[in-house]
Amino acid sequence: MLAKEIIKYISRYLGEELRKINNEDATAKEKIHRIVKTYFTMALEQPEMIEYFLRIYLSNREVFKNGCEGMICVSDFVTEIMIFFEEGVKSGELRDQDFFSAFGLFMGYLGGMVFLHGEEVLTESLDTYIEDVSYNIYQALRAYEN
Amino acid sequence: MPKTHKIEKLIEKIEGEATLHFHMKEKKISFVDIVFASSRGIEQILQNKPALDALVINPRVCGICGHAHLIATVKALEDCYEDIEISNKAKIIRELTLNFEIIQNHFKWFYLTIMPLLKEEQNVMRAAKPSQLMSKAIAHLAGQYPHNSYAIVGGVVCDPSPMDMLKVQHLLQETIRFFEAHLVHGESEKLLVCEKIEELLARGGDLPHILNKIVDQELQHCGKSFDRFIVFGENSYFQRGKASKTRIQPNISEVYLDVEANSNSLAKNVLYKQRYYEVGPLSRAMMLKTPLIKDAHRRFGDSLMSRILARVCETLQLLNHSLSLIKEIDLDEPSYIKPSTDIQHITGEGVGAVEAARGSLIHKVQLVEGTITSYQLITPTQWNLSQGTQENPGVSQQAMLGLEEIETAELVFKSFDVCSVCTTH
Amino acid sequence: MKTKLFWLQGLTCNGNAHSLLNYAGFEQFLEDFEFIYHPMIDSEHTLSSLVQNRKPCDILLIEGSIAEDFQRAGVGIVDIIALYAPEVKKIVTVGTCATFGGIFKDSPYHDSSGLLFLEEEPVTRFAHLKDKVLSVSGCPIHPEVLANTLYSVREEITVKMDSFHRPKAFFAYTVHNGCTRNEYFEYKVDKHTFGEREGCMFYDHGCQATYTHGSCNNILWNDVSSKTRVGQPCMGCTEPHFPKRDLYNTKKNMGIPQDLPLGVPKRVYLTLTGVTKAFKIERFSQKIFDA
Repeated sequence: MLAKEIIKYISRYLGEELRKINNEDATAKEKIHRIVKTYFTMALEQPEMIEYFLRIYLSNREVFKNGCEGMICVSDFVTEIMIFFEEGVKSGELRDQDFFSAFGLFMGYLGGMVFLHGEEVLTESLDTYIEDVSYNIYQALRAYEN
Repeated sequence: MPKTHKIEKLIEKIEGEATLHFHMKEKKISFVDIVFASSRGIEQILQNKPALDALVINPRVCGICGHAHLIATVKALEDCYEDIEISNKAKIIRELTLNFEIIQNHFKWFYLTIMPLLKEEQNVMRAAKPSQLMSKAIAHLAGQYPHNSYAIVGGVVCDPSPMDMLKVQHLLQETIRFFEAHLVHGESEKLLVCEKIEELLARGGDLPHILNKIVDQELQHCGKSFDRFIVFGENSYFQRGKASKTRIQPNISEVYLDVEANSNSLAKNVLYKQRYYEVGPLSRAMMLKTPLIKDAHRRFGDSLMSRILARVCETLQLLNHSLSLIKEIDLDEPSYIKPSTDIQHITGEGVGAVEAARGSLIHKVQLVEGTITSYQLITPTQWNLSQGTQENPGVSQQAMLGLEEIETAELVFKSFDVCSVCTTH
Repeated sequence: MKTKLFWLQGLTCNGNAHSLLNYAGFEQFLEDFEFIYHPMIDSEHTLSSLVQNRKPCDILLIEGSIAEDFQRAGVGIVDIIALYAPEVKKIVTVGTCATFGGIFKDSPYHDSSGLLFLEEEPVTRFAHLKDKVLSVSGCPIHPEVLANTLYSVREEITVKMDSFHRPKAFFAYTVHNGCTRNEYFEYKVDKHTFGEREGCMFYDHGCQATYTHGSCNNILWNDVSSKTRVGQPCMGCTEPHFPKRDLYNTKKNMGIPQDLPLGVPKRVYLTLTGVTKAFKIERFSQKIFDA
């Protein structure tokens, strides 16, 4: 019960931050930068939330089996990512592809960096990676002229 | 009084209009110009469209034979594949819905066009009622009529149940009863195997009534043309080939078709090996050697009498044949077999030929990576109304030669069942 | 007293005229209405006489798109409309071509359009007539929709209209209302194969029913069926942009349908989708008749 509430709280929080970014008048490239910054900033300032998400939610999925089927409990967050992708493709900036390929790339990358940060493996502070990580994500997801 | 002069007549209610310019010499028609003034440019509209969009656009060539355009389109697209499988179930369903369209067309033509031309009162409900029955039958399989696009590359979208087929069967039977009540009285089973036109003329009903009227007015030999017939759309009932009088030649190929523009009309001519041919129910009956039509042809040649008779008889034959087709469907077969290659990746050419209500309908398409680069429609009325020259007239022009009355000429013209929108598309 | 109708055609396929003949109450209709001209039904006047001199008429019906250079019986269609517009009580555009331009807005006639609209944009030529106009869009029109609209004029019933002058009684619904495949849509069962009774065509196969105005699944076609019920996607034929492009395919941006149900905001749709996709309902993954 508590576990589910925490997950939903995190999702709602991140979802709200992403919604603000989605509603801004900016390019997909700029939005990627802001999303990465929001995520890394949260990891730096409220590490216990992201820690919880990575270590408890993702690793112990069976705890959440009843009442958190599929991606229900993270739906706020996932909805905003969907909207970001959809509008990026519609505007021609992002390449059209399967949702999960893009989602996996984006979230897997961010989650991986935060995980390394949590393990104290990174040589620099997490926020110094924002530029490179944003650039890499953009290069991977962008549409190219044929 | 000049020996030669021209009479211009606007012909209306032929799914649009046409203007006939009659050249009169010594009070007889010596030649006719057939002018269609307007074209909607469907062939241009189709340029650069994705292939499957043609299935939606092409029925809109015509409101009364749009379904034939749908089937011709899907066959042309499927012909672009080297290897594609269509289940027997899908083939039969496509043939059934096309039959239903042909049947409703013939009822409408008879009651809305032909009866009034012979000074009988136009009975709109006798056209509307059987058309409603046949439209319902189409809707059970294709969703709605007019204008559906239920045939797609690979088969059909519907999956009818035995209950659906029962409903279709009942509608066919009801339409046959309607035929017996109004068109030709008496048992239709006997009419199907009738071999003598005298037998038909002795029955009651609207068809014998007007055929007898035609004889009374001594018009039964009017409208003769070249006695040359051609049928391209083969299916379980119609046979493909050409005939000159009763001499049949089954081997024909779309390769020998020529389409030519006219200087004075937006309709184009169609020739097969440089000659004009008639298409339609009479042609189809001549290929099938239908006994009753053979008898009429023996007596009246390819006159308007034979043409009218052939069209009404075909109505009953298709009703009957559709009933037997229903029994042949195996509903367990798949309705749709997904082609191994998506049409988006197909580059090639295809031809689709079907028998529409008025005759052979041919569609030719060229695709490049699933996009239409070229589309050509050749419609039945283009065949029949091709404008030849005085030395080498087209089929309907020949049919009107020598007539004295413009009224009779209009009757002959409309005995070909003209569709203006198809002609110019 | 029969209400007098003039069925005037522009660039058309005649599909609407044939569709009206399928009206189940057509016999009664012919008792209440008289065609001073119709493309198939005989009338007192020939087209030639009608376009030269105005004859008494109550409703002008226009089928087909309108172009400056297009003529009927030797007279420009725009002139025929101008001749009858002052006389008639109502002008009814019959079909999507006459309402929005439809398929034939792309014909060789350069200015081909609907009476009041070219797609969504108002057209100036006959804008001064707009208070008299009722639009019955559809390709073709549904016979009941047209017949009842004409009856409402005859009976002087006020017709609530949408911004395109379409009667709300029929066009406030979406084609989605009443489709037998609704459950697959509700629970986001997005697998669909052609040729099957199961599945919703919105996700992959271009069905526009959820955002197309019409009563196809409400009234049914030919009293028995509809396109979506038999498995053909709705092509949006009542709408200004008909025909769109790539009609059997759902345009998606990273897996998300570009066009969403009428009035449903994107976030709401995606949230609901996320929730329903989490669950798998056995019944919806089975064949209906196998259960």
